[in-house]
Amino acid sequence: MVFLQEVIRQIYFLMSAFFGLLLLRALFKRTTRTSLVYDIVYAYAIIPFLLRALHIR
Amino acid sequence: MKGATLRKVVFLLVFLVLAGFAAREFLELRHFKETVIVSEAFTERRMLSDWLPNLKNTWGDTPVYFFDSGVPGATTLIIGGDHPYEPAGTIAAYVLMENLQITSGRVIVVPRSDMSASTQGIVGNGYPQFLHIPTSWGQQVYRIGDRETAPLDQWPDPFTYVHYPSGQNLAYQDIRNLNRAYPGRPNGTLTERMGYAIMELIRNEKVDLTIDFHEASLMYPVVDTYVAHQRAEELSFLAAMFSQAEMPMKTEVSPKNLHGLAHRELGDFSDTLAVLVETAEPFIDRVVGRVTEQLMIDGKDEFLQRAADKGLLYTSYDINNAQTIDNRVGRLLTSAYQLINVYNMMHPETPCGAMFPLYTDVMTNGTGYYLQNPAEVDPSRVFEN
Repeated sequence: MVFLQEVIRQIYFLMSAFFGLLLLRALFKRTTRTSLVYDIVYAYAIIPFLLRALHIR
Repeated sequence: MKGATLRKVVFLLVFLVLAGFAAREFLELRHFKETVIVSEAFTERRMLSDWLPNLKNTWGDTPVYFFDSGVPGATTLIIGGDHPYEPAGTIAAYVLMENLQITSGRVIVVPRSDMSASTQGIVGNGYPQFLHIPTSWGQQVYRIGDRETAPLDQWPDPFTYVHYPSGQNLAYQDIRNLNRAYPGRPNGTLTERMGYAIMELIRNEKVDLTIDFHEASLMYPVVDTYVAHQRAEELSFLAAMFSQAEMPMKTEVSPKNLHGLAHRELGDFSDTLAVLVETAEPFIDRVVGRVTEQLMIDGKDEFLQRAADKGLLYTSYDINNAQTIDNRVGRLLTSAYQLINVYNMMHPETPCGAMFPLYTDVMTNGTGYYLQNPAEVDPSRVFEN
């Protein structure tokens, strides 16, 4: 049970990294919503995923 | 590099720099160690994982301090830091540990019962991360943590938290709330394991009286109150009566159908007399202005005064005589002392002869007066938490 919980917890950290990379990709390679405002939003939205993936916050 | 790409790289770098600043603050709190200088009565320091080995090397493990007189008598357990965003609980436990004299029985102190929760702040509510207590030799610094176990250590949360073993449905975030996780289970979540280890500590060490230090918002009915398991009802009513000499206290009996809380489960799943103490913390309420370190120290808030003027609070509040950190720490100490005092009256054959600073002492001299200078004491009495 404890081991299974640990596996699930680590999967969620991997998911954070995955979604952070998706956002990074979307920042540079997207075809819709190409304005400057969305550049800021995508760049900003990466922060929480990055901090969680790095076990900081 | 095209202009649009360069722009995106610049934005990314700007936010990475901001993330770096934030990360530095988060890591500072996560790894900051508090200093405590135990009194001459100290005998042994153990870890909570001694009672549940699978807590070892996790952020759920935490130091447990023993003060044993060597004379037969009752064992009292003091729990601090169950909710680390209520800092007076841990500071009161530290003041007790630094000044405790004991003539019979034992006192066991767990000053940071949810260590994980103390290593992350409530940045969303704009809480400061540290509390500096002035002393004659400088400042003693304490972490101001969160209410729940850090999500770094226990994640994800379910949609609904189903409490074990009652099956009661609770708010999802309470799965990381130690004071909703008792009696816990040995193979449960990290918070449930902490709760179970504390239960095992109580059962194995045959703790007679357990006192859990908390703080509450002034708009919450259970404030300046003993919340007692039904077996500790008489004890708490008498302690509240004796406390009136220094400060007013109320008593509530723990509801039998509200599960996971210390005053319910510790009493139901062990022989200990379980009492939770709530003092009035003037910065938990949502109506207060900026939540600053100064507010945590002096308790002065004009919005809370307006709420008091409109009769919205469950305890008295006067901005000119507010609930300072000294008031709250002293209140918890006298509350604990009176519980021990009444216990000794009811069990004169097995007393717990514990003495430590009380409300009037702390109000007169300040909390810092009772915190020792680590540079001037025997290093064997200095510990980091």
